[in-house]
Amino acid sequence: MSEHVSERLEPAVEPPRLIPEPAAEAQPTESIFDVNGVAVFYGDHRAVTDITLKLRRNQITALIGPSGCGKSTFIRCLNRMNDLIPSARVEGQVIYHGQDLYADDIDPVQVRKRIGMVFQKPNPFPKSIYDNIAFGPRVMGMKGDMDEIVEGALKRAALWDDVKDRLKTNAFGMSGGQQQRLCIARALATEPDVLLMDEPCSALDPISTGRIEDLMLELKADYSIVIVTHNMQQAARVSDMTAFFTVELDAGEKHRTGRVVEYAATDKIFTRPDDKRTEDYVTGKVG
Amino acid sequence: MAEHARVHFQDELRALEEQTLGALDLVVATLDRTLEALEHQDIELASIVVHDDDRIDGRFLEVHQGILSLLALQAPVAGDLRTVAALLHVIKHAERMGDQCVNIAKVMPLVGHEPPVDAELMERIFKMARLARSEVAQAKQAFTLRDVSLAQDLVRQDEQINALNREVFRRAVEIGTDEDRREWAMTMMLVARALERIGDNAVDIGEQVAFVVTGLFREFSDASHV
Repeated sequence: MSEHVSERLEPAVEPPRLIPEPAAEAQPTESIFDVNGVAVFYGDHRAVTDITLKLRRNQITALIGPSGCGKSTFIRCLNRMNDLIPSARVEGQVIYHGQDLYADDIDPVQVRKRIGMVFQKPNPFPKSIYDNIAFGPRVMGMKGDMDEIVEGALKRAALWDDVKDRLKTNAFGMSGGQQQRLCIARALATEPDVLLMDEPCSALDPISTGRIEDLMLELKADYSIVIVTHNMQQAARVSDMTAFFTVELDAGEKHRTGRVVEYAATDKIFTRPDDKRTEDYVTGKVG
Repeated sequence: MAEHARVHFQDELRALEEQTLGALDLVVATLDRTLEALEHQDIELASIVVHDDDRIDGRFLEVHQGILSLLALQAPVAGDLRTVAALLHVIKHAERMGDQCVNIAKVMPLVGHEPPVDAELMERIFKMARLARSEVAQAKQAFTLRDVSLAQDLVRQDEQINALNREVFRRAVEIGTDEDRREWAMTMMLVARALERIGDNAVDIGEQVAFVVTGLFREFSDASHV
């Protein structure tokens, strides 16, 4: 989060405990998430296990892997979205700026304010473009000029010029690509410092996909981005780091559990991965 | 995970590799003809070598286009990407080796039908030629088998070629005062130089084998410090 914005937007209600702001002089390689031995259960079923990795500030981290390997399950751990699933349980630690996100006194609503999520299908509210953006800041009780907040978020999502003359029209009238950028703007409006994107382009055409990718590359100057994608070329094009997940069957071949096989610079994953399973997946030999 | 995905792409890549390494067979055949022409001072055969170089050049163009298409349409990555990048180098080296055969064939008419041959110098030229031929065949085998040890062994053979090249130079210097013999010796130095370059190209292919296997490119021997 840029410093001047954080000064402008003080939350109306103090959270139970503040999640520390990133230091202004922080280096780009500083880790924003330290994930230690995370496992996620749905009831008795262990969906993902042994996830240990550091996600770096101002970088785009791509999570790739075959269907059912736990990429989406894992990304949802990073802003406690799994809390919304009654049977879900998270083990291990997700340290965000040195703070355990799953500590008892952490407010998940504050977590989701700071760590925004964009989903596979654009999901604007059935409201005006303006109200879509203003919704989060209003709920959060954010102070400041709402018009400025809306304009700022739309500009950061490269959508302002497209919609500035029709802010009061229904968001459903926008194209799919515009709707997805609106959802990105909506996530940015609550001033997060992390943006989680779960297959954000899978419902978009190539032109809209290109715009979202360009936007991600612009946004990483101010935000850290984690993206789940099935499109390996997309991971190769936009991300700095890539984590390859795979899925393993248990001895009885009844339960599938996801785990990280290899986590490295994207360039390395796509030119000389260390693990044969990564090689076989990225080259398309198995899928 | 489903096994055996992208079968069509793997078939295409395999075919492209066969097409590329097949160019090294063409080089070996051309080298054989070149040496036969040299041995018998057969100017006609030499002219066939010059004209037949179009086959190797044509193969270069085919492989080059195939590589561009594969990059554009299939976006290979990891080991596949390294293979494609290496094939581009291999086909370029094959094309250069073909050109060296042409260089040899082109200088042959310059020394006339009955040149003043020096047996000692010719013996070294033919030794060089046998080693160069062996290097080209071994480079192909190393690439096919992804055998880094076999690729590195090319350096050993190439050092022998280089030593023989220096001997040819010394012999040419000592060949005497007869103008025709000196002119012939100078021409044979060009032939030796071409064979020495073919050896270097084979070593370069060996370096590509190591790159494909390890993902790291390193020169086997640093020529600038020898």
